[in-house]
Amino acid sequence: MRIWKLQLGLLLFLTLVFGPIAGRLLAQDDEINWLGDYREAVRQAKATHKPIFLEFRCEA
Amino acid sequence: MLSSKDSPLGKQLSQYVCARIVRMDNVDVGLFDRDWNNTLYYFMLNADEQIYMRYGGRDAASADTYLNLGSLEVALNQGLELHRQYLKGELKKSERPKPLYPRDIPLLVERTLGRNQCVECHLIGDFQNLQREQEGTLDKLTHMFRSPDIKTLGIQLDVPKGLVVKEAHGAVQAAGMKPGDRIAALNGTPVWTFGDLQYYYDKVNRKADRIEITVDRAGTRVPLTVTLPLRWWLTDLRYRQSSVEPRTYFEDRALTEAEKRSHGLKADGFASEVKFVADFAKTMKSNELQTGDIIFGVDGVESDGIANTAELFIKLRKTPGDSVMLDILRNGQRMKSQLLTYRMSFRK
Repeated sequence: MRIWKLQLGLLLFLTLVFGPIAGRLLAQDDEINWLGDYREAVRQAKATHKPIFLEFRCEA
Repeated sequence: MLSSKDSPLGKQLSQYVCARIVRMDNVDVGLFDRDWNNTLYYFMLNADEQIYMRYGGRDAASADTYLNLGSLEVALNQGLELHRQYLKGELKKSERPKPLYPRDIPLLVERTLGRNQCVECHLIGDFQNLQREQEGTLDKLTHMFRSPDIKTLGIQLDVPKGLVVKEAHGAVQAAGMKPGDRIAALNGTPVWTFGDLQYYYDKVNRKADRIEITVDRAGTRVPLTVTLPLRWWLTDLRYRQSSVEPRTYFEDRALTEAEKRSHGLKADGFASEVKFVADFAKTMKSNELQTGDIIFGVDGVESDGIANTAELFIKLRKTPGDSVMLDILRNGQRMKSQLLTYRMSFRK
């Protein structure tokens, strides 16, 4: 009974701590990845033969 | 712009390497030249840094007049098509513009980079102009009045469809432009988006009196010679962060020739009626103008080859901080009144 309670507590802890992170990772995987480094974008464009869509915007 | 890969826009963007730049410190602003008073702007290019097109641009009325998901979709598709052509060797390579980095603009280094402050987009354009002002190379018609408004030519775009013309009036109507035409080139340079059109229209020599616009009409390319109206480059500067523009804190309208005659003023002069005086002018006592005043002279000058109002004359011919003596007509009485211009204070 005590072990079962410990396991349940651990599961609850893991869910609370890692649940949101896992959710965010899944959501990110479904979204466009925006690079913040122009040189990296050029490198990836070379490697994948894709064109680049470059956005300039204010940081604020 | 976080788009799901499954959305229509996301499916298009997935075919691109997407990058977002929020600091201009190490950007080649020579390659990515644009009107720096746009806070959001896009380029579509390839790994060889050949730019296919621009997406963005604005008018004085709003920052998003020409930003639209429909036109973005059109542009993204066109970008992919141009990329396919480039990979097949069907697209001619363009010469890379001379590199220019923020660190190459001494005033920008002195007042921003050197202080470890963010190089905001508008600062690039403004410090370029300040540098030109110091070096005596500032051409206000070109550098201050950037991005002439295509509506001055009579072009109303069907914005969601990119460069498809919704209405054609004035100069372009006289040249033969029709609703439904798609603008395809300006002075021989292909344009795919409003951003392209505005960028290359801005490159037209301010002394030009005509341009050639090529339209695609039901699959046929039709060249149109457009006679440029007087002061076609004149734009509303109010939204711009510009420290080379003398701030006058009043607005006026040009008098008609008949009005000038009725007041006994020169027909070719820049006499204008004051329509608005900003509270700032009253608080700072920078001028004592009143609504309805007619300004017919500035420092003894009454006419100018370009300016058609006193306000424009001051903006073109004076430097921020100059004090000028105005000749005015108030209730039929001629009098003189001093006006102090200001430089935008964020640069101090």
